[in-house]
Amino acid sequence: MTSNRIAYTTFVAFVSVVLTLVVVNLVQGNPDPSSASAGENARDEAVYRLGQVAEHNHAGSCWKAIDGVVYDLTEYLPNHPTEEEVFTRWCGQEATSAWLDKGNGRPHSPRAAARLEDYRIGVLEGGSPASATPQAETVAHSTKPVSVDNRLGQMMLGLAPGNYLDGTYRGNFIDRGLIQVSLQFRLEAGRIKGMSYRHLFYRDQDYLKMNDGAELYPVLRQYQQITERLEGEPMEAIFRLYEPQNVVDDIDGYSGATLRGAKVISAFRDGLNRGVYSW
Amino acid sequence: MTFRKYPGDLLLLGLFLLPVVIAAPALPWGSQGWLYSLAELAGVFALSAFLLAGILSARIPGIDPWFGGLVRLWVVHRWLGFSAFMLVMAHVLLLALATLPMSVGASVATLFPPLIHREVWLGWAAFLTMLVFIAPTLGFFGTLHYQRWKRLHLLSAPALLLALVHTLMLSTTAWVWWLLSALALAAIAWRKLLSPWLARKPYVVDGMDKLARDVVELRLRPKGKGIRWQAGQFVYLTPMDASLAAGYREEHPYTIASGSGDDELRIGIKAVGDATRALLDIKPGAEVRIEGPYGIFFDSPALAAKGADGPDPRRKQLWLAGGIGITPFVSGARDRIEAGETHRPDASLLYLANRPERAYYLDELIRIAEACDGFAVHTHYMNEHGVITRDYLAERCPDFAEREIYMCGPPGMINHLQTLLRHEGVPGHRIHTEAFDFL
Repeated sequence: MTSNRIAYTTFVAFVSVVLTLVVVNLVQGNPDPSSASAGENARDEAVYRLGQVAEHNHAGSCWKAIDGVVYDLTEYLPNHPTEEEVFTRWCGQEATSAWLDKGNGRPHSPRAAARLEDYRIGVLEGGSPASATPQAETVAHSTKPVSVDNRLGQMMLGLAPGNYLDGTYRGNFIDRGLIQVSLQFRLEAGRIKGMSYRHLFYRDQDYLKMNDGAELYPVLRQYQQITERLEGEPMEAIFRLYEPQNVVDDIDGYSGATLRGAKVISAFRDGLNRGVYSW
Repeated sequence: MTFRKYPGDLLLLGLFLLPVVIAAPALPWGSQGWLYSLAELAGVFALSAFLLAGILSARIPGIDPWFGGLVRLWVVHRWLGFSAFMLVMAHVLLLALATLPMSVGASVATLFPPLIHREVWLGWAAFLTMLVFIAPTLGFFGTLHYQRWKRLHLLSAPALLLALVHTLMLSTTAWVWWLLSALALAAIAWRKLLSPWLARKPYVVDGMDKLARDVVELRLRPKGKGIRWQAGQFVYLTPMDASLAAGYREEHPYTIASGSGDDELRIGIKAVGDATRALLDIKPGAEVRIEGPYGIFFDSPALAAKGADGPDPRRKQLWLAGGIGITPFVSGARDRIEAGETHRPDASLLYLANRPERAYYLDELIRIAEACDGFAVHTHYMNEHGVITRDYLAERCPDFAEREIYMCGPPGMINHLQTLLRHEGVPGHRIHTEAFDFL
């Protein structure tokens, strides 16, 4: 029957498409942040609360939390070179201190650390497991990672009134009677283009009039980096400035993390709220 | 196959569309969400089709004429199952597509999320269970053993439950699913658990007449109150004789060969498989169970009056029979002589067989034709005349293109004759055939 052939062909195509998706995802090799959820982390590991670990507090079932990672050491217990009690009194507990100080002021050996990994069963909720975060922290060259989750930003813009037409916008951040940030940008299909400052003022300092010898000139550079690095980004990228260190570099001892990104966000949203300034 | 309308169609359509009508407005149809909504809609349609197919499996005697007969119901059932299978795959792929713009990872995570998202994995379990029973049905592995297929098909019940839980965990309109599921599960429970006790009537084999080496006619007498039937209907017969070589307690469909007023229920049986071959050796006195009757081979005019596209009762009829496909016409012919009524339209029977010994019942049919006005019998032997032609037909029945045409026989014959008749300008609604080669 024809319908049988159609069903069979469709099924084969279906399996091919699903497999292709899975394989492409494997080849790309970047686990999506959205795949991490309540019970598991980015490495697809179980996440435990300290209370759960505490239930395994005896030789029959001995879990320990060390440096944010949870280990089930029940099987290892007979192999530990000390008195059993030395080992078991840490069962069900946060045992990092015992790991770092064997009782003689010395930490466990690297060989012990390697063996420890065999017993890893998950991570501690809210903990920052030492070896499970090999990510970008050391990668601090000029191009910042762009694989940022923009969905929260999309939602925040979605909650605000109005829709944002293409055009040129101008917005201000005003505090204590003074304009601190005034900026201009264009929107083209929802993307930020040609963002520039018309005014940058804080504590009697007019940043835009500084020359490159000024003490606070690095801060001006950081503000300018904002405009460079948001060029062409979707408008919700503005919310990255809540963590400005993700957008700008540390310059001459001025940490990116201390930049007042919220002021720029505020001025930007002021512009959006005021609507298109010119077409 | 021509599409005819029957009163029950509206009910089926209503049940099928009910969940969609309720679920569709609640979906996010905004600029971003339409693909996702389409995916959900495919899922809703799939479950509707699946549940409706389940409901149609009830096979309650006496109900099926409202839906155009049991054969048509099974055809609809099959199409619903086929559609459910296709729609489930569309559902999965559309979900993957809807999240693909975010990233391939997000797309894969939508289809294969962490295990704690049980609702998604239940959906997969439902699909895989469905695959196990529907793949053989759709002939992925060629044809297979009827009884084994039938047992495998019972997996539809767990698949249905899994699909239901999958949907209920995600749906906001639970009552409509509960309603349809209750009907579907009740239908399956009736078919598999209750009907063997409540719907099957005990009969005793009174005797048997050998019509050919591999063809017999069983004569059955009811133990209690028997069934009533119309010419051309069929029943499911379950032998209760444990000494049979095969087919003990297995039900199979057979066409009734006796006229509607006959005291005895007579059934023409040709050995085509293990169970039918074993039945040739059944002894008088053995018990069988009969469930039915089903089908509307000679569409009843009463039904036509109720708004269905029935046959024209004033038109003359042409009966085309092939091999054991003669049985409904034997029933029709016996009906004529028993009733002796005169208001029936003229009928001409053309009996197609390979050679004379293969024309079972022919002597009796000729006797009936001699005794009845308005009923004639002709034969066509393949070995003698080759494949039947238009001219051969026109010689025996010059006005064949003007008649209501009833056909029963092997698929090759039906296809050949259908092509021939359509070529001669016979409209599809005047060609009646009920082929049950896989019930």
